[in-house]
Amino acid sequence: MHGLFHQPLPPGQNLAVVLQVRDHGESDKIVTLYTRGLGKLASIAKGAKRSKKRFVNKLEPFSLLNVQLATSRSSSLMRLDEAELLAPYPALRQEYPQYLAATLLCELVLHWTREHDSDAELFDLLTWALSGLASGGEGRRTIAFFHIKLLEILGYRPSFDGCLDCGMLSAQKAPYRFSPLRNGLVCNSCEPAFSANSLPISMQTVQLLRKAQDLAQDKLERLRFSKGALLETLALLRRYDSHLLQRELQSWNFLC
Amino acid sequence: MNVVPPALARLIADLNRLPGIGRKTATRLALHIMRRPASEAQSLARDLAELHGAIRLCANCFAFSETDPCAICRDSERDSRLVCVVEEPADLMAIEKTGAFKGKYHILHGVLSPMDGIGPEELKVEALVERVRRQRVVEVLVATSSTVPGEATAAYLIKRLQEEGGVTVTRLACGIPMGMDIKYADELTLSRAIESRKDTRG
Repeated sequence: MHGLFHQPLPPGQNLAVVLQVRDHGESDKIVTLYTRGLGKLASIAKGAKRSKKRFVNKLEPFSLLNVQLATSRSSSLMRLDEAELLAPYPALRQEYPQYLAATLLCELVLHWTREHDSDAELFDLLTWALSGLASGGEGRRTIAFFHIKLLEILGYRPSFDGCLDCGMLSAQKAPYRFSPLRNGLVCNSCEPAFSANSLPISMQTVQLLRKAQDLAQDKLERLRFSKGALLETLALLRRYDSHLLQRELQSWNFLC
Repeated sequence: MNVVPPALARLIADLNRLPGIGRKTATRLALHIMRRPASEAQSLARDLAELHGAIRLCANCFAFSETDPCAICRDSERDSRLVCVVEEPADLMAIEKTGAFKGKYHILHGVLSPMDGIGPEELKVEALVERVRRQRVVEVLVATSSTVPGEATAAYLIKRLQEEGGVTVTRLACGIPMGMDIKYADELTLSRAIESRKDTRG
């Protein structure tokens, strides 16, 4: 399937992941897609709620599609003319934990990207994470890896190389805290007072995060997180989300 | 200059808020009500005014009903050991129309949708578990839609009820719709249809 990503597609066609589907009126659906060539976009699928032919079972969250889109003169919504289902990822609907994790991935892409701002690398990361989840990948691990790489692709990579003030990273300076405001770590001797927004983080987690940032996407599976480190990582990423996006992503509530 | 009298304009605006009714349809409906005898409008107004006072949720199955328990829950002809779980009241009506189901219902009032902040606690899940325990239910038929959120909700319910134990949990079959050509069925549906194939020996 990955071979498909590198073939040029006919004009008007696009690889897309369905992020969100909303009913619109009596018979239409508004489908938010993350496309490989055009980035995130909202499209209208006319007659999708009623038609038994064209879109049945295709416009479902997480599905990988090959879509035919057209711009509309009267509205900013694109018109979804046709969709070919490439991967429905059935496991993401048959297991509740996988469904939760996949929903968070989509919610992250929904809020971290802008409309019509395409990024093929991010698209590939999303399909990598979804297919990993669909083949039984552990939800929290997949989210952590996906999120770390997402921040890197979007240019929001937090720094775990040492304290932002003294530059040191050593056990003597522990405990370290992560400051979402300053996008990195501060050590106990530079900033001993606890600030409301920062999160304590163990040395073990710092080291794992650094490794995760340096490893290539396809080698991330080798990294082993202890349960504690994983929970710490997710808490950090969640705090970082709410700080940078200035909103709470709902799906986090069901995961941690 | 305002050509529409304010009372009519208010009615148009009210009707306009209903699903599937745009401004033009709302105007047409409002003018129709205007033309008909006043008694018809009064009867409509009375029905609307009484709606929220008269309808409540059945404490047993959470269906909309004028009585509590609802007519289905009170019906002694129906098998109370068989409970069909649906997403919303409209689904109950669809199943009732078939006349093929002789058990009772349980309405969840939604599906699990983490992005909208809807988890198991926002749905009538614990009430179902409690009901299964208390009323010695033998079989729970999970009849949520075969959409992604519907299937995920079904998966959650099946797991939750199996943990509880003592009840058979079944899932509404999923396959080729009547009158459909196999060639045009999508792979997922077709493979589900094969998995849930039926022995023809009766």
